[in-house]
Amino acid sequence: MIELSGVDVHYGARKVLDAISFDAKKGVFVGIIGPNGSGKTTLLKAISRVITPTGGIIQLDGQPLSALSSRELAQSVAVVPQETGPGFDFTVSDAVMMGRYPHMSRFSKERGEDYAICRKSMALTGITHLSDRSIHAISGGELQRVIIARALAQQPRHLLLDEATSHLDISHQVDILATIKKLSEEIAVIGVFHDLNLASYFCDEIIVIKDGKIAAAGTPVEVITPAMLRSIFDLDAAVSIHPVTGKPLVVPLPRSPPAPGGSYRVHVICGGGTGSDLLRALHRAGCQVSAGILSMNDSDYETAGALGIFCITEPPFCPITDPAREALLKQIAAADTVVMTAIPVGEGNLDNLRVLTQCGEKPVLFLSENGRVTIPDYTGGKATAIISQLAADHRLAVLPWDQLIDRCKSKGEKEP
Amino acid sequence: MHKGYATIIVLTALAAATIVICTGFGPAGVPFFGMSGNDTTSLILFDIRLPRVIAAMLVGAGLAAAGVVMQGLFRNSMADPYLLGTSSGGALGASLAIVLLGGAFRSILAFAGCLAASFIVYGIAQKGGRVKVEQLLLTGIAVSMFFSAILSALMYSAGQNLHQILFWLMGGFWNISWDDVKLGIIILPASLALLLFSRELNIFSMGEDDAIHLGVNVERLKIFLLAASSLITGLAVAIAGCIGFVGLITPHIMRFVVGPDHRVLIPASMLAGGILLALSDTVARTVGNEVPVGVITAFLGAPFFIWLLKRRFST
Repeated sequence: MIELSGVDVHYGARKVLDAISFDAKKGVFVGIIGPNGSGKTTLLKAISRVITPTGGIIQLDGQPLSALSSRELAQSVAVVPQETGPGFDFTVSDAVMMGRYPHMSRFSKERGEDYAICRKSMALTGITHLSDRSIHAISGGELQRVIIARALAQQPRHLLLDEATSHLDISHQVDILATIKKLSEEIAVIGVFHDLNLASYFCDEIIVIKDGKIAAAGTPVEVITPAMLRSIFDLDAAVSIHPVTGKPLVVPLPRSPPAPGGSYRVHVICGGGTGSDLLRALHRAGCQVSAGILSMNDSDYETAGALGIFCITEPPFCPITDPAREALLKQIAAADTVVMTAIPVGEGNLDNLRVLTQCGEKPVLFLSENGRVTIPDYTGGKATAIISQLAADHRLAVLPWDQLIDRCKSKGEKEP
Repeated sequence: MHKGYATIIVLTALAAATIVICTGFGPAGVPFFGMSGNDTTSLILFDIRLPRVIAAMLVGAGLAAAGVVMQGLFRNSMADPYLLGTSSGGALGASLAIVLLGGAFRSILAFAGCLAASFIVYGIAQKGGRVKVEQLLLTGIAVSMFFSAILSALMYSAGQNLHQILFWLMGGFWNISWDDVKLGIIILPASLALLLFSRELNIFSMGEDDAIHLGVNVERLKIFLLAASSLITGLAVAIAGCIGFVGLITPHIMRFVVGPDHRVLIPASMLAGGILLALSDTVARTVGNEVPVGVITAFLGAPFFIWLLKRRFST
């Protein structure tokens, strides 16, 4: 078990770590995330005694770090650093054997047991076929696996990873982290991650560090939230629970454009995924977009939510109610343009179209690539009748994608 | 590993052969075999040539061992035994002896100068008992320059002694006696002590942080290796002056032959360095008309080093 209490680290006069306290127990994979320069690597360096804290206590299995000899420390803690200088051209198996150093006395030779442990470590990291190659003649990702194998050969009770898989291709990343995850049942693992999704998937606990302080800590579900990503990483992101992994999945979003200067307001009537692309495009074009009425299990609703677009909603499978209808009327009245997609219409969302007939002369842009106005109509013709009426009133302009976006964009730019 | 030990056995045999052959060569034309047994020939062979060959062997072995250690410690293939200012410190000490004391205590002052330079460099570069190798490297260069400046001033005002100083600077084995060999014998245990730390040196070459992670007490390692190699270099300089290139080149050659493992590399380099210097000295005193051996090693060493660099850049 690794315990930190009130650990401070200074580089000169600059405080890099400020009163860090947490512990990492056997059987737990702790992930550390945070922006560049937040102190993550420094934290690992303090635990591996490469640097000495200026305050606080670090304990390994109840013993203060400073009480251990270099050798005892290496028997207990193994580190996979971000980068390793390749040094002289040792073979891969020689480099892995270096992990046995803390277990050998000065005059002893490598025993059969040492070779067996190294072979196992190389098999776990998938580098057995490289064992006789020079470490100068392998790729950066392969070298990183050699260093991981060397750390495993130390048979540590604690493993520290500093972006240990950053140079690996995606399949090796997952394989090696899965191996380490399995090992973490027996040992304590602390890993610094840049890839939030890998951290979310593999770690049992996440610690967020910013400016040398712990900003948040808890399970991935508790910690990885859009609010945290915005405040710590200055990142707009959509976070959903992935249906397969059950873990938070982070999708970074393009930065929202600056508030549209012309405040050109577009209301989009869409649903069933017909409007997601349109919402994104209009949002990016700088329009002030709103949407609705949408059911809360509609994928267009998720898109709108992720983009921060105002949305009039109803709970799933519920008919449209009066408050929503009034809100839609208000929204349409305030909008400069109403855009409509070829939305599938049933009795449940027919009111979206009914409201259109109640809002005066406001023109409606209909998105259609082939110039025809057809919608999947599940209302026995009621929806189509409303559309036909709008067309007859010359309130319906049918536009293909490019023209529709250009029109909204140019209007948005013209108006100051 | 087997290949490495085989190389060491071959080199040991070669070293023995070198002693015999080099002792057999010389301007006096005394052949090793078929010697007449009179006093003059045995004096030439056993009191002049043999100590000289053995001293060259010891100095070559010591410089090569120190060179291996410096290159491993600094992870820099350009590192040599004189990196910590030892050569300029030793040269300054010897020159002071020549100018002020008429040559008395020259070896002692050279030895003292070497060690003093190393201590000064380490003392400046360390901070709270920790020292960064980059810091050592740069401090070594700065201190060397400082000593060289004093040395230049000394040479400028040396007058008749200038010739002696120059000779000493180039290095050689002119007046070697068995006393020098006795002094040089200390090089062997000191080099073998380096050998005890070869596993640490292997690990250290991967990077200082890596060495800490693997349980190497790096500060103790640095102090020990620097002290031992300074002692070895100091002895070598006290015996034969500043002989260049043996300590730089031999480790490179042997790394090509036996690989980077210091457990094999150190003994192999010691043997090869000894052979190289004994042969160079034999060339110097026979073909070269007693030209300083430093001239021979540099004359052969520099082109070899250029070849090595070209080869490295082309791969």
